[in-house]
Amino acid sequence: MPQKMEGGRVIPTVKAVVVASDMITPYGKGADVCRDGLFSGRTAISGLKRFNTKSFQSDQAATIDGLTYHQQDSLVIQMIRSLFDGTSAAIPEDANLILASTKGEIDLLEKNILEGTGDVSLCNLRGLLEKVSTLTGVKDPGTVVSAACASSATAVARAAAMIRSGRSDCVLVIACDSVTEFVYSGFSSLMAIDKSTAKPFDKNRNGLSLGEAAAFVLMMSETRAKREEREIMGEITGWGLSCDANHMTGPSRHAEGLVVSIKKALQSARINERAIGFIAAHGTGTVYNDAMEMKAFQAVFKDGKRPVYSIKGAIGHTMGATGLVEIIIALRALKEKMVPPTVNLQEADEAAHGWVSSEQCPVEKNKKALMTNAGFGGINAALILT
Amino acid sequence: MNISIHGIGWLRKDAYGCIMKEKRSSYTDGGSVNARSGKDIFHYPFKNFGRLDTLSKATCRAVALALDDAGIGYSPGSKQDIGIIGTNTAGSLQSDVQYFKDYLESGRTLSRANLFIYTLPSSPLGEAAIYFGLQGPLLYATRRDKALAAIMAMAADMTFHDEASAMLAGMVEEDDAVFFVVMKGSDSGRSVLCNVDSAIEILNNTGTVPGIIKEFSNIKKGKSLR
Repeated sequence: MPQKMEGGRVIPTVKAVVVASDMITPYGKGADVCRDGLFSGRTAISGLKRFNTKSFQSDQAATIDGLTYHQQDSLVIQMIRSLFDGTSAAIPEDANLILASTKGEIDLLEKNILEGTGDVSLCNLRGLLEKVSTLTGVKDPGTVVSAACASSATAVARAAAMIRSGRSDCVLVIACDSVTEFVYSGFSSLMAIDKSTAKPFDKNRNGLSLGEAAAFVLMMSETRAKREEREIMGEITGWGLSCDANHMTGPSRHAEGLVVSIKKALQSARINERAIGFIAAHGTGTVYNDAMEMKAFQAVFKDGKRPVYSIKGAIGHTMGATGLVEIIIALRALKEKMVPPTVNLQEADEAAHGWVSSEQCPVEKNKKALMTNAGFGGINAALILT
Repeated sequence: MNISIHGIGWLRKDAYGCIMKEKRSSYTDGGSVNARSGKDIFHYPFKNFGRLDTLSKATCRAVALALDDAGIGYSPGSKQDIGIIGTNTAGSLQSDVQYFKDYLESGRTLSRANLFIYTLPSSPLGEAAIYFGLQGPLLYATRRDKALAAIMAMAADMTFHDEASAMLAGMVEEDDAVFFVVMKGSDSGRSVLCNVDSAIEILNNTGTVPGIIKEFSNIKKGKSLR
């Protein structure tokens, strides 16, 4: 295993780097489109036409134009197909595959039950994994990772671990989730949806907006990336995963779980908090999530405020896909030394004052990014990106 | 890597038990009929155990047996740096169908939040984390075949790299469940059943809970005889 010992701890010597990525979001296809949308300050959340919303808390969501609902292919397969239509980077066939999702092809299950046809037993994440494996052309049958709304971050952490430990030198991580009646009705029953649009970290925030997306990152060992003369877009430097062990749907108000995750991530990256230049937060727009995150940031970053932003006021909460979209955008922000505005922010919550902004913010040189996600079951994930 | 199996808890339709302590109880035995509600498995009352979905109940019971087998205690309000990874064949499919049919039967107006929360494959693990105070990494993972062997390798990796002091790795299907306690062998001072690499080799060849119980019981018996 390529590693050394330091103070009784295992120190990996292999770097896990990102060499390719792509995404489809409610802004359209491509990271550039998403980046431009975020920096424009324009939200992609709008009136939902996919199903009847009159019984729900809201009629707003961020959906991708051109997808067909309850047809032969599921929404997520339509999204993923668009990512591997030949215009994206070539995927090595020896790449290991990790798929991150919460509900996968749940629209197919809806269709089967509504029409009384088809086999619902096929509507599971293993079935989706087989389809995705075929679409990407990789030989590995792959692994599904599902950790609620921290699925993407967890999958990327596992991919980085595989590369650092020498078990793989190339891992393709794909993430996807879609806006369906199943999911929308569920979040509505939890009273979690903002009647208008999500306003992360705002004083008047009142819930999340659902969104949909699919994305991938191709990760390699730095050695292989250099050997193949790949452009290195960034490095997954560290990660920390934890659980609040507190409540199924609500975060711990004391934020101790997320603090544990962030500290583990900093330790894994062998840096201290002063190295972090900005935070790509989960920022769902719910009262409790955003308050919990700010409590965690204040507990960890005692040396001072740094830019915090959320992209969920722009493209909604894309559930299992959210972390992967956020990683790609954060890597862009590191490269461009500029973080996007928090779309829909009008008046920052008192706890977030001086941290979040409705304007783009410059990033200090030679700093790293912290990305955080949290999900049902009290799951927390933190990644350090360079 | 010096990572080992320190305890295994298992459940079947008609019995439950653990490997290190060589315990086996049948639901038809007079003294263990309460096992269906978990009363003789859990260390302290499990509030609202009845509202959990089937997979969550089985997960929590199997985890309780595995922790006991490894000599790891737990109590209300206390948290430990232990993570949990689970797998199965169909994810949350049964709960998905139950939730959506219930929603349709209500006229597509009201859905039940207490059914919706079990429509994530990671939800049973979340219930276990809350009751047992598991503050380490939590994830569900699956693959086409040999999923339990794969998550065992993942748990070993996470333990080796100090992502948690210990990991629970297990599989829960409708009638069967098994959870393993994975820890660094040298750190714990606890009894060890076998090296994790040996366990992964067994799980690569044995995918069913009855087969797993048989193989690991044989290892334990072999150790006892020595």
